[in-house]
Amino acid sequence: MTRSSPRAPTRVSTWRATWIVTRKELVATFRDKQTTLYTIIVPIALYPFLFWAILQGALFVQGRAEHTEVRLGVAATSDAHVPAGLPRALRHDASARASTASRPAPVGGSSSAESPTTNTTGGDAPARPSDDVTSTVTSEDDRLAVLHVTTRTEPLDDAGARAWLGESKDRVVPAHGGEGPPDAVLLLHGPREVGDAPDPGADLLYDSTASRSQIAKRRVAARLPAFADSLRAESAAAMGYEPSSLQPFLMEEGKDVAAEERGGGFFLSLILPMLLVIMTVIGAFYPAVDFTAGERERNTSETTALLPVPRRAVHQGKILAVCACAVLATSLNLLALGLSAEHLLHMLGEGRELKVVLPIGALLSIAPLALLFSFFVSAVLTGVAALARTFKEGQALLGPVQLVFIFPAMAGAIPGLELTPGLCFVPVVNVVLAFRSLLKGQSMPLEYTLTALSLLLFAVAAVWIALRVLSRESLVSSGKSMGLADLVSLLRSKGASR
Amino acid sequence: MSGPNDMAAPAIEARGLTKSYVDPQRGRVEALRGLDLTCRAGEIFGLLGPNGAGKTTTLRILATILAPTSGTARVAGVDVSADPLEARRRIGFLSGTTGLYPRLTARETLRYFGTLHGLGGDALEARIDELMDAFSMKEYADGRCEALSTGQKQKVSIARAVLHDPPVLILDEPTTGLDIIASGAMIEFIEAARGRGTCVLFSTHVLSEAERLCDRIGLIDHGRLLATGTLDELAAATGHEWLDDIFRTLTERVRATGDVRA
Repeated sequence: MTRSSPRAPTRVSTWRATWIVTRKELVATFRDKQTTLYTIIVPIALYPFLFWAILQGALFVQGRAEHTEVRLGVAATSDAHVPAGLPRALRHDASARASTASRPAPVGGSSSAESPTTNTTGGDAPARPSDDVTSTVTSEDDRLAVLHVTTRTEPLDDAGARAWLGESKDRVVPAHGGEGPPDAVLLLHGPREVGDAPDPGADLLYDSTASRSQIAKRRVAARLPAFADSLRAESAAAMGYEPSSLQPFLMEEGKDVAAEERGGGFFLSLILPMLLVIMTVIGAFYPAVDFTAGERERNTSETTALLPVPRRAVHQGKILAVCACAVLATSLNLLALGLSAEHLLHMLGEGRELKVVLPIGALLSIAPLALLFSFFVSAVLTGVAALARTFKEGQALLGPVQLVFIFPAMAGAIPGLELTPGLCFVPVVNVVLAFRSLLKGQSMPLEYTLTALSLLLFAVAAVWIALRVLSRESLVSSGKSMGLADLVSLLRSKGASR
Repeated sequence: MSGPNDMAAPAIEARGLTKSYVDPQRGRVEALRGLDLTCRAGEIFGLLGPNGAGKTTTLRILATILAPTSGTARVAGVDVSADPLEARRRIGFLSGTTGLYPRLTARETLRYFGTLHGLGGDALEARIDELMDAFSMKEYADGRCEALSTGQKQKVSIARAVLHDPPVLILDEPTTGLDIIASGAMIEFIEAARGRGTCVLFSTHVLSEAERLCDRIGLIDHGRLLATGTLDELAAATGHEWLDDIFRTLTERVRATGDVRA
């Protein structure tokens, strides 16, 4: 502590000082739980948590659906009849059939159900009025995916079938078991020609706004094709034809012919640009508040003002540290997405498989734009947060600013919107559209260059404004937040970095 | 009270310092109105005055935290407006509100300031160890500042202020909020600094502290220095023995005559 200690012989350069400040801010900020949560934990854990939540939700919904007993009404128009064996085929599902193959026929007898004109009452279900046939099949082990089938013996036209289905809407509380109006109606009709396409021979009427009706529809859709195939095979054999020469019972649903990778790439191009913007903003949010309003609240702004380096270096260091947090959050999020996107899509998709491969080439092209964008976001958030007096006030100020970034980012999900030279100069929109185009593998050197230039301009302007705001005296000397008039006056004044 | 070296060049010299700003509630505020001040090396200079007199503004201008509206100030020969960076390198500043970075440890705080002062490697570590020994800080050197007691924080703050061995120490009410033991340690530190030839400029509300420590005292009110001198000189000029009486007399005299110089 004596004067004999040598005084520092050299000044630290501005850029070295910037780096030292950045390093210190990063060390300090990652010791803060909130920043660590939003910069590291959330980006990594977001997707696993999302998967877990979706899985739990899906399991719950699936469990509820499997345990839900639904009713199907089967009827035919006057020129058709209900094929023998159809009710029994519908009330079984594949697993139930496999598990009961070696067992006695389920209660409710199959033989009586063979005839569409014979009244048949299924096992547990109570007897129906004389004109209806109700059959119920449940697995012997449990009551999963139960479909009660009620066959109307008298002919019904389309209006009649709709009226029958409509009976279920009139009930406030759905009926249980096999009793009650159907949740869906399978109406069989004679052969008709509609345009060039042959009519499938059956209409499945259901109510898409009623979950029970949807469950009934899914169970019928899953079980009907197998019956249609067997019926076709039997009919063909009886007539001595090849089964393939007969028109199938029902038309097959259309299939998406897009390649799996293209589907995944399309998905990424829709969601990834928006995610990149959101994660950049979330990653920068807390450090920006912490380094500015948080510093004022902790009474350390005076300490910082005493650092023996140019103020510009200190403020640059803060912005750089905020930017590092934003980039870290975005990178971790991207990594987590790459590792888990396929599982997520698999869970979200219904039978459709999408292959998601993070396009490394596209990401490398995006990296410079993402970095410039991170600088832009970091400078804006840091500058705005510096107007606040307390951490809480900073959070309140940055809330709307977050939306200013996130709303335009939704442009990335607008179909048909492409990056044009004009849009290259619209902040946020330019970056999401550039991301999207690059992810779709489109080459657009002019737009890419214009976007990079405009981002650079925006970033420089934002850093300049942020430095002006951060360097104001009242940041240290006053306990007041800065109003809009003060800000305008500050930006118009001749500033000097001390 | 040891006497100052009258022949030495001023360690601090302020001429016609003014500082004004616009306050949303109070309108235009003139915090300093042409303040002149001279402090010499190896001298303890006490700045006394009521709240709002301009003490903190003066010290902050000298420490380059604020820029003066007009006037000049030199610290250790460096103009604080022309070369604030070099001025900061020659100043150790400490105040009751100069907080420590709560998430850094005491050692990290010293290392951070040392690195920015251009120190590094073994020289920096040796200097930190020297300060740790001098202020008995070793047992909490690696504890985060947010977990330290007030006295421990004060020691870390002092170590931070003298790490680069500045020729000028500026202390803004350094004993405010401290208990008797911590205040005593601060007073010892100030006396030791004078012993090393350091110029110490400090503001205080505690008149007994000023009477005990200061080689010279400056009385400030409404942004103007009313009088400077040793306690004996001020007593002779006003005919009072105690500082509070001296201050009251000077204030009344200024109000009556408009003369700001005793």
